[in-house]
Amino acid sequence: MKIICFVKLVPDVENFKYDYERNVLVRENVHQILNPEDCSALSVALKLKQENIDVQVETLTMGPEGCRPHLEDLIKRGVDRSILISDKSYVGSDTYVTSRIISRYLEREAFDWIFSGTHSIDGGTAHVPSQVAECLNIPQMGNILRINQAGLFSDRVRTEVDSEDAVLQFEIERPAILSFQYSTKIKLPYIKYEDLERDVSGQLEIVSNSRLRFCDTETGIAGSPTKVSQVEVDSFGRKDTRFLKCDDEGIEEVYQFLKQRGIVCS
Amino acid sequence: MKKVLIYIDPQAVKDSIDLLEAAEQIYGAGESLSYGIVPGTPPADVFGVFDKLISVSPDRAEGFDAAYIADSIEKLHRDFQFDAVLIPATVFGRMIAPRAAMRLQTGLVADVTEIRHHDEEIVMVRPAFSGRMLAGIVNRGGAPVMMSVRQNIFSYAGPRTKKTEEINFNPEPFRKPGIRYISSQPKPQDEDIRESNVLVSGGDGVTRYFDQLNELAEVLNGSVSASRKVVDRGAAPRHIQVGQSGKIVNPSLYIALGISGSIQHVVGIKNAENIIAVNPDRQAPICSLSNIVVEADAREFIPRIIKRIRKGEYK
Ligand SMILES: Cc1cc2nc3c(=O)[nH]c(=O)nc-3n(C[C@H](O)[C@H](O)[C@H](O)COP(=O)(O)OP(=O)(O)OC[C@H]3O[C@@H](n4cnc5c(N)ncnc54)[C@H](O)[C@@H]3O)c2cc1C
Ligand SMILES: Nc1ncnc2c1ncn2[C@@H]1O[C@H](COP(=O)(O)O)[C@@H](O)[C@H]1O
Repeated sequence: MKIICFVKLVPDVENFKYDYERNVLVRENVHQILNPEDCSALSVALKLKQENIDVQVETLTMGPEGCRPHLEDLIKRGVDRSILISDKSYVGSDTYVTSRIISRYLEREAFDWIFSGTHSIDGGTAHVPSQVAECLNIPQMGNILRINQAGLFSDRVRTEVDSEDAVLQFEIERPAILSFQYSTKIKLPYIKYEDLERDVSGQLEIVSNSRLRFCDTETGIAGSPTKVSQVEVDSFGRKDTRFLKCDDEGIEEVYQFLKQRGIVCS
Repeated sequence: MKKVLIYIDPQAVKDSIDLLEAAEQIYGAGESLSYGIVPGTPPADVFGVFDKLISVSPDRAEGFDAAYIADSIEKLHRDFQFDAVLIPATVFGRMIAPRAAMRLQTGLVADVTEIRHHDEEIVMVRPAFSGRMLAGIVNRGGAPVMMSVRQNIFSYAGPRTKKTEEINFNPEPFRKPGIRYISSQPKPQDEDIRESNVLVSGGDGVTRYFDQLNELAEVLNGSVSASRKVVDRGAAPRHIQVGQSGKIVNPSLYIALGISGSIQHVVGIKNAENIIAVNPDRQAPICSLSNIVVEADAREFIPRIIKRIRKGEYK
């Protein structure tokens, strides 16, 4: 059985610092991390591989060549093969174009399941898995909390999905894209000591446009139907913050504040 | 007259109706005809607010089969040529919108929180980088303009007395479903923190005595909410989490106890009218967003403020 895991590298937004004085986002030295939800999805796949010899796990990433070291790290953790779709003409593609590029690669690949995150922490659109599924004409389900792993080996798998007011159960037919939610319960396997220095470059494959053959006007900023027209820092800092101590005076001031705003009545 | 198609998510009817306000902000009040598409039997609330209503096949009714709804939207667009398609950014809305956009070969903007106009163009504003930036996005690909819209941002207050016309919709059978609904387990339906006027919210600084927040919430007639760290540690249920991966709230008072104010948390409280932070660290980012910062241990603050409020009441 072959599982392809989408892996996107994203800026580590959790460690973005915000400079409220200057009203800017401090983006220097922000490093790239694996999108947390992709990490959860990949962890499920690698665990399955550890427990079943006939499971093959591949990762698929579209991004700059700089992603390489991360992908090599994943290979050392047990991924069989990593694909990096990378081409200068793809820079600036929106989700519509990204999905078409990824789909064109996948059209010629055999796989049983695709695992992905539900949304990424930088774009956060949750478009790519659904749009790839649409291009490939296969089912897709997002916000997956759990799956019935045995089902992966059959024609349909049971999934538990975190929805608005309920946890829903669905059966999804193979092949399909299963998009997971972030979970703290499962982690990537450690790298074994003997693998630390292993040369894994042979398991990493770069796919460029010479293979996928889009014309220039179809990809990148030029080919994207949406365009970012304005970007601004969203600031809602206040200038008039009052700092109080937790003494009688401070508590009284908080109380008066609540009263003035009608939160408590006297 | 512009035509706007709105997807009505059976699991979030009010949020779907609210998109009528977004439509008015795009084209102006009364300048567009609203078409609602709903899976299954239409809920009573939608009559009177939409101009036209289309219900799609009851046997694949719940709106869980995103490919089916996308096919329906494509078919309807061929018949009616919509100027805009709006979908609430609910769990299933977020699976339907990207598929429908692919079928209509149009760009899609996710999680729109604001509509602006610039040189005749419709600018769809959405948070980026976990909410620390706003990006204004335009669709260059031509019609229809398509977006998923963040819940609880727009609010429809227009007429509810329209004569809603139901449109028959019996398309050829679409693709066979690859998804089968099995069952549903309701999540505990405590109160919805989005409806509270006062939120007493706890972060990792109060994880170990999270229960104490209840009493403060009670005297303030509010509810308790939490940061994701507290939820991840198992001290609070997920449905009371505030923030990017939790809920967007707009109370008139938000009391942040032991919350540092990470980017992902703060996106959830942008619309809070007043913020009081209790935190010994005055450098914590939450502080610069607050009207009042009490530089103290929350454990000390909670009983003292409760006492003061009670005294005020019983005086
Ligand atoms: C993709 C993604 C999505 C996320 N979504 C969300 C989300 O929706 N919501 C969310 O909240 N987070 C979210 N996060 C996590 C977020 O980045 C932070 O990790 C989290 O908000 C921190 O929670 P906190 O403020 O409770 O904890 P901390 O950052 O650890 O802050 C604890 C604070 O408590 C103070 N403190 C300590 N002791 C006391 C005391 N005795 N009394 C008072 N104060 C005290 C400290 O000074 C500190 O400021 C997300 C992260 C990612 C990567
Ligand atoms: N460039 C990419 N390369 C690989 N996977 C991606 C890429 N973009 C998105 N994905 C996958 O799609 C999910 C949703 O991403 P997004 O649509 O950006 O919110 C991510 O969690 C990834 O699994």
